[in-house]
Amino acid sequence: MAEDIAIVATALTPCYRNYADSEPSMIMSLVNQILEETGVDRYKIDFTIAGSSDYLSGAPFSFIASVDGYGASPPVYESHVEMDGAWALFEAFVRLQCGDIDLALVVGSGKSSPGSPREIFPIQTDPYVQAPLGLDPVSVAGLQANALIEAGKATERDFAEVVSRSRRDALSNPNAQVAKDVSVEDLLKAPYYATPLRKHDLPPITDGASAMLIARGDRAKELCDNPVWIRGMDHRIESHHLGLRDLTDSPSTRIAAKNLGLEVSSLDVAELCVRYSPEEIVLRQALELGTNTKVNPSGGPLAGHPVMATGLTRVVEVARRIRLGEASRGLAHATSGPALQQNLLCILEGDA
Amino acid sequence: MSEFPISFTLEYPYERTLGPVIGPFFTALRDGRVLGINCGNRVICPPVEYDPDTGATLEPDFVEVGPAGTVENWTWIAEPTSKHPFQEPFAFAQIKLDGADTAITHAVKAAGPDAISTGMRVKIQFCDERVGAITDVYFVPEADAQEQTITPGEKEVRKTIHKISLVYKEKLYPSRARYVQGLLDGKFIGQRSPKTGKVSIPGKGYDSIGRVTLSEADDVELSATGTAVSYTVITPIQYQGQTKTEPYISAMIFLDGSDQPLIAQEVHGIPADEFRAGIRLRAKFKAAGERNIDDICNSWMFCSTGDVIERWEPTGEPDVPFEDFPEFI
Amino acid sequence: MAERCAVVGLGQTKYDRCLRVTMDGLVREAALKALDDAGLTFADIDAIVLGKAPDALEGVMMPELSLCDALNAVGKPIHRVHTAGSVGASTAISAVTLIESGMYNTVLTVAYEKQSDGDFMWALSGGKSGGQGAGGSFAPWIRNYIARSGAPEHIGWKVAVKDRLNALKNPLAHLHMEDINLESVKESPMLWEPLTFYEACPSSDGAAAMVMTNKAGVKRSSSKAPPAWVIAHAKRTELAVYPGRDPVKPLAGVDCAKELYKKAGITDPRKQIDCAELYVPFSWFEPMWLETHLICEEGDGWKMVDEGATEIGGDFPVCMSGGVLSSNPIGASGMVRCLEAANQVRGTAGDYQVDGAKVAMGQAYGGASNYFAMWIVSSDPDPTFN
Repeated sequence: MAEDIAIVATALTPCYRNYADSEPSMIMSLVNQILEETGVDRYKIDFTIAGSSDYLSGAPFSFIASVDGYGASPPVYESHVEMDGAWALFEAFVRLQCGDIDLALVVGSGKSSPGSPREIFPIQTDPYVQAPLGLDPVSVAGLQANALIEAGKATERDFAEVVSRSRRDALSNPNAQVAKDVSVEDLLKAPYYATPLRKHDLPPITDGASAMLIARGDRAKELCDNPVWIRGMDHRIESHHLGLRDLTDSPSTRIAAKNLGLEVSSLDVAELCVRYSPEEIVLRQALELGTNTKVNPSGGPLAGHPVMATGLTRVVEVARRIRLGEASRGLAHATSGPALQQNLLCILEGDA
Repeated sequence: MSEFPISFTLEYPYERTLGPVIGPFFTALRDGRVLGINCGNRVICPPVEYDPDTGATLEPDFVEVGPAGTVENWTWIAEPTSKHPFQEPFAFAQIKLDGADTAITHAVKAAGPDAISTGMRVKIQFCDERVGAITDVYFVPEADAQEQTITPGEKEVRKTIHKISLVYKEKLYPSRARYVQGLLDGKFIGQRSPKTGKVSIPGKGYDSIGRVTLSEADDVELSATGTAVSYTVITPIQYQGQTKTEPYISAMIFLDGSDQPLIAQEVHGIPADEFRAGIRLRAKFKAAGERNIDDICNSWMFCSTGDVIERWEPTGEPDVPFEDFPEFI
Repeated sequence: MAERCAVVGLGQTKYDRCLRVTMDGLVREAALKALDDAGLTFADIDAIVLGKAPDALEGVMMPELSLCDALNAVGKPIHRVHTAGSVGASTAISAVTLIESGMYNTVLTVAYEKQSDGDFMWALSGGKSGGQGAGGSFAPWIRNYIARSGAPEHIGWKVAVKDRLNALKNPLAHLHMEDINLESVKESPMLWEPLTFYEACPSSDGAAAMVMTNKAGVKRSSSKAPPAWVIAHAKRTELAVYPGRDPVKPLAGVDCAKELYKKAGITDPRKQIDCAELYVPFSWFEPMWLETHLICEEGDGWKMVDEGATEIGGDFPVCMSGGVLSSNPIGASGMVRCLEAANQVRGTAGDYQVDGAKVAMGQAYGGASNYFAMWIVSSDPDPTFN
């Protein structure tokens, strides 16, 4: 029997181009906000889990310092994934399903500003036949974009429309880093960067963090008036050999959606981890999203991409819209790896 | 307040052993040939050790593929990164080599974005210097291809070197910048938490116990005297980047008034057999112009006192007895 | 718990200084052995949990992305854990919760390190000079332990000898030091006073894997050996640095053990647990953990060592497989502790089997002794303790 688990509080930093202080200090500000909002004693939280990456800021074991931010004196039950915070949420969701504990704190954080993401991320690819070529996510996104166009599944105008809409929607998101009203025609005048992609099809370099408190069953109702229920989470991966993938599709997303019994017609909102504009086309088609679902009203990662928190931030954005009553049911998506290699889905619903 | 920009290169030449599939693949590349591996009815290139569908281990049953093939997909890279095979614009392409059923993703050197298209024929070119790595080769449009005579190497390729070199640039965090400015001024600057009253050095800009942010107003100057509470004598292990060669005393020292020790303080000039836990020490700073803080970064693990201390010298006070050691001991 | 979790398959590579395989080959060897032991194939696996220490050790960022094909994870969930040196045990525990949640039936968990690709000392020092190594950080705390407990100096040597003699019974162990004795440990080069070279762990390549399943899965599995039931697991983390911290007997290590025993129903660990695989990368950590984990009174850990209680044949054998002192594939080392505990209660530990072992403990720690992860496994799904 599945346990009912809900998000009871969320916190986000702004998307910073360059945050001057440490990652733990960002985390501490978020966790303190959540504790204050819910009145929960930090040391009454049963389980804490964070997602971050050593390589982003170039310091092996950097996640150990992050513990400062969420606190562990006296000691706490805690874990860490070297993955986006959305996977930390996944593990927390699994852990609460076990039924013996009630409350979990989830954090995702990253500072991309010290390094050069295009030079770092190739080392995510095959270390023998791919990484030494410096094959970076921008280039793979270019391959994905070209494959979409040549398969007749998208046009350059479609990409520009994703960017134009995202940047415009970001104008109403106080945490956005890149927000402006720019027309599709103006965007299409820009030169190519990784043909057929232009620089504006890429996300900005961002420092930032997000966090949430989730609770099981009645505990959720005690802690807030309008808990946002997690109706299901699933994640799946695809081959790391690009030659074994169809870059115009996202079969891993399809499997996750099917496994969750996702009914897209009921979704009012979807926050998708669209790091490169073509990814929105691939995800919309894989999920078969209809016009009734508003996609990335926050502007999405194209408006701010705090790597390792970007996926968790999607969950926060959907949860906030549900709490505000702007939506009753929504989907959050997170991704990892080049060209949407690994995908996570999280279905959220209000009490209604 | 002074700013301290820091730059750091995380660099290592990883040596990767190659096993029964990638080893022969790289050996062949060095020797001017491209191998795919038989997997059921298809030939996979670059070869893999397992059937991608079932996970079953594949026999190392290779077939030669290429040297020419067809572009299945491409993107033109207008601004290459320093890690790319070419520093002038080029294409990454997915290329199905003749005889293979899957595409290899590699670099194509072409005149411009108009000189590459899907369906176009390209050919592999072997670099003059080949070491047994994926970077031994690149592709060009078939029309531009040079005839090459390749002299095979002697030994089988069993390892490949993958040098990773990443540059990180940031500024010292504000609290650490003030600590560093203190060291340059010949002072130890810590931070006192208004919530717990505890003093940390260096301060972190927050108190992780009291869960409060600390600012410049919480900075405190600490005494240059303290007690060594523990130590070890280190015989340096050699690794890339290590410059120390001689054994040295590394001590944990609680400065008077601090609740957290300075760790890994090198002590020279006191013989190891005369050193002991409990000894009272005073830091003698170097002359103002000779203090160097270049090795101080933002990492929580490696925050040193830079190269500002001439030496730790005994104050001559009686040793602090074990039972009077600070709380943590 | 929605479901109970049992370990039905164990797999390990040989541990060695430089295994001549790819990382794919390394994790596959352990995974295929574990599947074979469980009588299952990749097709039976619902999810994969991968663990290893810092990505910089091999220079592969988020290696689940490039190892998913090798582990036949395509189309499945693959999850990556990283909690410093404790990661192997943390990974095993994360995998257990996938089963206990009722969300997955059969899970493969794998942990590995290919240290020979890179250099641990380099990675630990962040690529800078002056790195002291883990021993340089731990030696002052060991010195404090000795001062507090009044332990004689030969205790460290004795642990080093015991674990290396145990390793002679384990063909997969990295170090096989036939001639080791107290004198040779004492005379080996002094690295981090008071730790000598022979009191420190080696740097190893290797991988470990386990197949876990629920009660229904145990019935379906055709494993030749009986399952090891996960009776309890616990994790605790504390801040790496804070005023008032006791790194010699970290509170996280004490709390973690208390929680573990409480969940297992254990009231007298020394009596009720038959043997333990503790994470002992430097000899002195054996007595330190015996005390921190409340297996004996404070100050008595070294006496257990001295009396031979922790030898195979003693009343509380520790590190029967040879332990971290004999093989240290960092990211896998914690999983090996959990795996070897399961190996004992399944009765499959061969020459280093503890007679009649029914309840065993696996433990790992990491970071600045601020991460702890432990489990208790038993041949009986519901053991009673008296």
